[in-house]
Amino acid sequence: MSEFLEFRNVSKRFGTIQAVESVSLGIKKGEFFSLLGPSGCGKTTMLRLAAGFEHPDAGRVILDGEDITDLPPNKRKVNTIFQSYALFPHLTVWENIAFGLRVAKRSKRDIETEVEAMLRLIRMGDQAHKKPDQLSGGQKQRVAIARALINRPRVLLLDEPLAALDLKLRQRMLIELDMIHDQVGITFLYVTHDQGEAMSLSDRIAVMDSGRIEQVGSPAEIYETPRTSFVAAFIGDTNFLEGEVTGLVESEYCQVKIADIPGLICFNDKSMKPGNPVYLSIRPEKIHISRDSPEESRLRNIVPAVVEDMIYLGSTTKYWVRTHGLRVQVLRQHFRFFLDEKPIRWNDDVWIWWHGDDGFMLDRYRAMDEHLVTLPPRKVGEPEDNDEKP
Amino acid sequence: MKRSRFPFIVTLAVLFFFYLPIIILIVNSFNASRFESGWQGFSLMWYKRLFHEPEIWRAAKNSLLIAASATVMSLVIGTTAAIALHRFARSRLQRFHFGLVYTPLVVPEILMGISLLMLFVAAGVELGLFTIFLAHVTFCISFVAMTVLARLQDFDESIVEAAQDLGAGWWATTRRVLLPMLLPGLIAGGLLAFTLSIDDFVITFFVAGPGSTTLPIRVYSMIKYGSPPLINALSTILLVFTFTAVAASQRLSRSRH
Amino acid sequence: MRRESRRRIREVLVSSPSLFWLSLFFIVPTLFVFAIALKPANPYGGIASGWTWDNLRSLANPNYLVVAWRTLWISLLSAAVCIVLATPIGYYLARVTARWKSFFLMLIIVPFWTNFLIRIFAWKILLHPEGAIKKALAFSGLIGPQTSLLYNAGAVVLVTVYTFLPFTILPIYAAAEKFDFQLLEAARDLGARRLQAFARIFLPGISRGLITAVLFVFIPALGSYVIPDIVGGPSGEMIGNKIAQRVFVDRNLPQASALSVVLILSVLAPLVTVLVLQRKREKPESLL
Repeated sequence: MSEFLEFRNVSKRFGTIQAVESVSLGIKKGEFFSLLGPSGCGKTTMLRLAAGFEHPDAGRVILDGEDITDLPPNKRKVNTIFQSYALFPHLTVWENIAFGLRVAKRSKRDIETEVEAMLRLIRMGDQAHKKPDQLSGGQKQRVAIARALINRPRVLLLDEPLAALDLKLRQRMLIELDMIHDQVGITFLYVTHDQGEAMSLSDRIAVMDSGRIEQVGSPAEIYETPRTSFVAAFIGDTNFLEGEVTGLVESEYCQVKIADIPGLICFNDKSMKPGNPVYLSIRPEKIHISRDSPEESRLRNIVPAVVEDMIYLGSTTKYWVRTHGLRVQVLRQHFRFFLDEKPIRWNDDVWIWWHGDDGFMLDRYRAMDEHLVTLPPRKVGEPEDNDEKP
Repeated sequence: MKRSRFPFIVTLAVLFFFYLPIIILIVNSFNASRFESGWQGFSLMWYKRLFHEPEIWRAAKNSLLIAASATVMSLVIGTTAAIALHRFARSRLQRFHFGLVYTPLVVPEILMGISLLMLFVAAGVELGLFTIFLAHVTFCISFVAMTVLARLQDFDESIVEAAQDLGAGWWATTRRVLLPMLLPGLIAGGLLAFTLSIDDFVITFFVAGPGSTTLPIRVYSMIKYGSPPLINALSTILLVFTFTAVAASQRLSRSRH
Repeated sequence: MRRESRRRIREVLVSSPSLFWLSLFFIVPTLFVFAIALKPANPYGGIASGWTWDNLRSLANPNYLVVAWRTLWISLLSAAVCIVLATPIGYYLARVTARWKSFFLMLIIVPFWTNFLIRIFAWKILLHPEGAIKKALAFSGLIGPQTSLLYNAGAVVLVTVYTFLPFTILPIYAAAEKFDFQLLEAARDLGARRLQAFARIFLPGISRGLITAVLFVFIPALGSYVIPDIVGGPSGEMIGNKIAQRVFVDRNLPQASALSVVLILSVLAPLVTVLVLQRKREKPESLL
C-alpha cells in the first residue's frame, strides 16, 4: 500500500525551540495511526502541519499524491478534532455539524440529509437543538467528530481528544472511536501521550521524543521490540541491564555477562560478537519470581535475589529485587487465590528467572531515559537512588 | 496560519488619530503667535500669563477641593456598595441595587445635570460648591463601585477560607487579608473618581452657582470667549499633571503585586 | 432561620449607604424632571403653581423634530463608525503578547486622561477654516474652498467618534480576550475563508462586547451637549443644546424638563431592549 499521508523531512521551529526536526513519516490509507510521546515531543506540531495551521520551515506534506504544504487549512481535505472540541458556542448541535457544508454552499436539501445521517451515526438525533454548553464531555466529542466527518475528509486529525474526559468515559469513548473508524473507514491520525489509548486503537504507532521519531511500528512491535531505551521506558515498564557479550551460543543466542553475573543467555538478533557492549531491555512481566528454586533449563536465566520493595495491585504485584548490585523490577500475576500462594515478603530470599528470548537488545541506550520507569516506593528519609553515586 | 495585517494597520491609524490633536495642542502652547496662523517662534509667554490669572487659580483650588472631598465620600459609599453587591449577589435587593448603581454610568451627563438642578431648585437649595460636591459624589459612586466590584470578583475566595482555617475571625480576616488585597482596587477606584471629578463639565455646569467656578467651567468660558493660546498652555499643564498622577497610580498598583 | 434573617439585616445595612444616596440624588431628581415637565413656567424664570400639558404639547414643534432626528442619526452614525474602527483593534489587541497589549492599551487610554473639553477644543483648532487640515484637503482637491469642516453635523460626528472610541475599544477588547481563538481555527479547518470565519464565528462570539460598546457610544451621544456646542454650530444642534438653551438662555425650566423627558425615554428604549434580549438569551425556554 502506498503512503496516503506523507511527511517528507519536515522541520518546524518556534523561536529557539526546534519542535520538529527533519521528520519523515508515511501513513497508509485507512490506517489508524497514532503519534505517541510526552508533552513537547512535537506530536501536536506534526498534526498542525498536516492540518495547515503551521507551515513547515523545511520539508513537504503530501496527501494522496498532492503536495498540500502551501495550501491554507480551509482548502485541505483534512479535518481536525481539537482537544477542547472547539464547538461553536452560539450555534446548536445541528448548526455546528452543518457548518462545513454551509460554508461550502451546499443545497439546503443536501445539508439536511447529511446532518440527519450524522446525527444518527453519533446517536444524538434528539439533542440536535441543544447548545454546546448543555452537553456533556462525551456528547461534545461526538458532535466534534460528526462536524468533521460530514465533510468527508481524506484524513481525520485527532488532537488528544480523550484527554479532558474522566477514566470511565475515556474507556467508553475509546470503544466508540474504534467503532467509528471501522464504520467510516477513513485514515485517522491520532495524537496522544497516553500509551493505553495508542496501543488499543492503533494499527501503527510512531513514538516521538524531542522533535524526532524514535520508532514506528505496530503496537506489538513497539512493545516487545523497542529499538531505544526511550521507547522501552516510555511504553510500559522495563528493566535496563548493561552488559558485555562473552560468547556465542548455538546460532541464534549469545552469552552475556551482566554486572558480575556470568553466562546469561540472550537472543542475538543484532548479530553481536564477543566483546560487544550490549543493553538489554526486559519487561517485568517476563520475569518470574518464587521462593522455591525453579527447574534448570538450557535457555533459562536463573538468578538469586533479595526482595527490596513490593506493591500489591490486586491482580498483580510489583516486586523490586536486588541481585548482584542490580535492581530488577518483576511483575507477578496472581493465578490463584492470593492467600493460598506462598507469600513473598520483604527481605525474602527469592529466585528470579526469565527466558533467553524475552530479553531484547536495544539499538540505543540513554541513562536519562531511566527516569521514565516506575520507581519503587521510598521510605521517608531515604535518599533517591539517583542521588547515589554508582 | 498567516495573520492578516489589517487589524494592526487600523490600530496604528486610530492611534495616530488619537494623538494628532493633542500633539498640535502641546506644540502650539509654545507658539509665540497669537492667532494660530503658523509658527512664530518658541515662547513660554502663555505659561507666564497663565500664572498671573487669579481666576484660574481660584477655579483650580475649587476643583481640587471638590475632587478630594468627593473622592473620599464616593470611596466609602462605593466600596460598601461593591461589598454588598458581591457578598449578597443573588438577592432581589441586590439586583435592584446593581441596576441603580449601573444606570448612572450609561445615562448622558446632561440628564444627570438637569435632574439634579431640578432637585436643588425644587428643594430651594442654593447652588454653589456644596451642590457641585453632592453631584460629583453621585456619579462617582458608580465608578468606584464597579472598579471595586471587579476587583472583588477576581478575588480568590479560598484565600479567605485559608485565613479562617488558620484561625482568623471576621475582623482579622477583613483587616489582614481582605483590605490589603482590595487596596489596589480602592486606589484605582479613588483615582478614577478623582480624575472624573476634576474633569467633569456638564453636570457641574448645571449645578454650579454664579460664584463657584471649577477648572473645566473656566476652560469652557475661555474656549467660548477667551484666548486660545492660554488654553493650550493650560491644557498642556493639565495633561502633564494627569499623566504623572495616573502613571504613579499604575506604578503603585503594580508594585503591590 | 435566625441566620437567614441576620444575613438579610447585614445585607440591608451594607447596601443602605449607596441605596440611600442614589435614591435621593438619582431617582428622586429624575422624578422631579417628570413632575416639572407638567408644570407651567413662571415668567421670571421659575416654576409656577398648577399643572399643564402645554410643555409636552409644544414638543410637537417641527424645529424640535428636526433636532430630534439629527440627534438620532448623529448618534447612530457615530456608534456605527466607532464599532467599525474598534472591532479590528479589539481583535488585534486580544491576539498580541501581554507586553504589547498593555503598551497599546496605555497608548489608547492616555489621551483620555486629558480634559475632555480640551480635546474638543483641539479639534476646533484642527478643523478651523484657516487650519492645516482644511488647507491640505482643499489643496488636494478633495473638498471645495468654501466647504467648512467646522460648525456642522459632520464635525459633531467626527469629534463624537474621537471622544467615545476608547469606550468602544475596551469592551470589545475585553470580549475578544475571552474569545477562544481556536474556534477560528476550527472554522477554517471546516472550510471557511478568513472573512467568513470572522463574520460567522468571531462577531457572534463577542456579541456581548459589541452590544456594550454600542450602548457606550449611542446613549451618551444622544445626550451630547458640549460637542455640538463647541464644534456643531447651528446646523449641528442636538437635543442637549436645546435643553441647555431652555435652562440658561430662556430660563424656562419646565420646557427644559419636557425635552429632558423625551431624552430620558429615548435613552431608556435601547437599554430596556438590550436587557430584555439578554434575559431571552439566558432562558430560552421561557419564550416557548
